[in-house]
Amino acid sequence: MKINTKRQEGIVTAELVGRLDTPASQEVGNDLLVLQNDADKTIILDCTALEYISSSGLRLFLTLRKAASQKGGKVIVKNINDDIRSVFMMTGFLNLFEII
Amino acid sequence: MDPTVSMDSHCQAIIQEFRDNLPVFKKVSFEIKDLLEKMISGCGKVHTNLENQLKAKDLTGAGIHVASIESRVKAEESLAGKLERKGNKYKSLADITDIIGLRVITFYIDDVDKVASAIEKLFEIDWENSVDKRKLHQIDSFGYLSLHYICKLQDFPYRFEIQLRTVLQHAWANMDHDTGYKSGVEIPMQYRRAMNRLAGMLELIDDEFSKMRSELTDYRRSVHNLVASGKLDEVPLDGDTFRSYLELKPFDNLNRRIASMNQAEIQSVSLMNYLAIFKGLGCKTLGDIDKIIKKYFEAAYQIACYQLGLTDLDVISASLGPQNLCIAYVLKNDGGKAGVRYLYELINGTSNGSEIWAEMIMDQARDLPFMNK
Repeated sequence: MKINTKRQEGIVTAELVGRLDTPASQEVGNDLLVLQNDADKTIILDCTALEYISSSGLRLFLTLRKAASQKGGKVIVKNINDDIRSVFMMTGFLNLFEII
Repeated sequence: MDPTVSMDSHCQAIIQEFRDNLPVFKKVSFEIKDLLEKMISGCGKVHTNLENQLKAKDLTGAGIHVASIESRVKAEESLAGKLERKGNKYKSLADITDIIGLRVITFYIDDVDKVASAIEKLFEIDWENSVDKRKLHQIDSFGYLSLHYICKLQDFPYRFEIQLRTVLQHAWANMDHDTGYKSGVEIPMQYRRAMNRLAGMLELIDDEFSKMRSELTDYRRSVHNLVASGKLDEVPLDGDTFRSYLELKPFDNLNRRIASMNQAEIQSVSLMNYLAIFKGLGCKTLGDIDKIIKKYFEAAYQIACYQLGLTDLDVISASLGPQNLCIAYVLKNDGGKAGVRYLYELINGTSNGSEIWAEMIMDQARDLPFMNK
């Protein structure tokens, strides 16, 4: 699992590559949670190359979203595949994120 | 050209005293504004650098929502103009009461009195120079209504002015000022009449806004009591009543049952967006929502079992219960794919995903036991 982050014109984009399962969430959790420092901006989680998300990965997304809502930023989830879309729907978190 | 050149030495000395103390005036002006913001709008204990200079010892915020609090230190040109007009009236700079000026603009007329009361507790008031313009009007006249307090700090030799008014009084004062006339008597009669008519209208609107707020408070209290007593069929569905209803945590049982499947954690989220969704489903009272919960509880659980049962997802949103209730309602009331798609658009906004999710739900619906009853 890899996270590539880039910052451009007030927007932070984190490209997630691989499977965000429980071990991967522990491995890259800090890399993702460091984005809380940018929670006053727009954070785009680019999931084009994200194959799978577990509850642990979902919790990371939720932590970022909570920080953004407290600091006036927002989290956009981009290009999720159908399986990940189902996870958001089944758990009821779909409307918490702006999904594009 | 320096406007003070033509002044006599007495007025020049006052101007010099002003210049010497300008940094102090700016600092005190900022600190009073900060204190007023905390004392008027804030809640709980208030801390301030001015603590030892105040009349009040117990500093607790009043929690009044106001439109704005402004502060300014008088501009030197304005002071010079004042001295030119009536310089002999002032022995020293300390005789001028509006070197530091603050203005609190409230939304409601009755909040002016509440803020005034907070200020009276906070500062020594120079009653002799304070003016309640609201009381100066004759019963047959209208005009600029405002409350001006001249206040004192204990170890600061200069007084300061706080003006209190509503947003409508503020609008009136600005428009009146914009005419360019210094006093009402200068205005040509036909325009004075028009200004007075407007002032009367604004006064009436101020009163109506206050009345409306008071009635809304009564309404909220009464529906809160109806909700608490369980008379849900008598409570119309709106923002206030739905908020009261959510305090009863009506979806908790369903969420807990769903969560128990995977020993999942339930994450709290706001459910206020479900007001529009239940309205979209035709609910008119809280009783209608309560009936949906009772009637479709099992069906909503079955949807969750189907979707989550074979996963190890152990975190769910508190919106999952109402989401599945609404899906079950649409499916059982022949809403079909179009109905489910509409529901998802209500929940998540318009997106291509709604079509995909509606298709998924329709596929799942064939296997759901409640659909075959």
